[in-house]
Amino acid sequence: MSSDDLDPVIHVQARLRVMVSLAALAPDDLITFPRLRDLLEMTAGNLSIHLRKLEEAGYIVISKTFARRTPVTQIALTPDGRKAFDNYVATLRALLPGTERQPTEGTAP
Amino acid sequence: MTPADSLAIIESEQRRLSRRVQFNPALINAMWAAVWFVGFGVAYLGYGDDRTIPGWLGATVPTVLIIGGMVVSIAYGFRTNAGISGPARTAGAMYGWCWTIGFVCLAAVNIALGRHLSDSDTTLLWSATSLLLVGVLQASGAALFRDVVMFATGIWTMLCAGAAALAGVPGNFLVLAFAGGGGFALLAVYLHWRHR
Repeated sequence: MSSDDLDPVIHVQARLRVMVSLAALAPDDLITFPRLRDLLEMTAGNLSIHLRKLEEAGYIVISKTFARRTPVTQIALTPDGRKAFDNYVATLRALLPGTERQPTEGTAP
Repeated sequence: MTPADSLAIIESEQRRLSRRVQFNPALINAMWAAVWFVGFGVAYLGYGDDRTIPGWLGATVPTVLIIGGMVVSIAYGFRTNAGISGPARTAGAMYGWCWTIGFVCLAAVNIALGRHLSDSDTTLLWSATSLLLVGVLQASGAALFRDVVMFATGIWTMLCAGAAALAGVPGNFLVLAFAGGGGFALLAVYLHWRHR
């Protein structure tokens, strides 16, 4: 196994950070674009570009709704996305002996 | 980016996120353990003729601590939930409001009843009913999260409410401080251990 086995969609710092953030939420949770940007301290443009890549891969869904006429963009991890992230973490640990620990689920009750 | 870099990023991000978006029940329970222990401990010391601290202190400290505790709990809930929605979040928020609204209404009932009671009966009423409400909410929260240890703590707290009423004044304050605060502390330690 080598670094080439790591999912290229996730193996980019900005997108990895997005995936970690989304995976930290409970399975059916959604997060608004501004809160995600605030958590990651990324610019809106930069975040949008990476979100689009993740959406194309089917790892996230971006939904646009309206709250009192104001558009609200919400982002959620898809089941495929969660699986891809778990696989990515498992591959990393396989590449780095001595770090085989259960991947942190990160969902509080 | 090497695999080691990736792992370092994942771990540091998870640490950062757990503080900012995940509601940590251990933290809130630890705070309430301190509020109950200090608040009702001071109430005990400031009650009766052989009090060791001024009486106004025994009445003010618990009130201020409990109101402060509510403000911190609500603010913490808003902060961790900001911009995030979903079934688990909704359930958690509804449960959180049960505590706040439950205690505000309990206060209204007790203030109204207190007008017809002696000082020692009023004191007993407040301490027993608030402990009972804590126990009921802990046990029902345990049902929501399907958590046996939390359920047992809730039942223990309810039993302490009964014991506090039977203990009379000012012994009830000691039951509140140690049993009530102790229940929260126990739960905080358990939740912290489980959260890791």
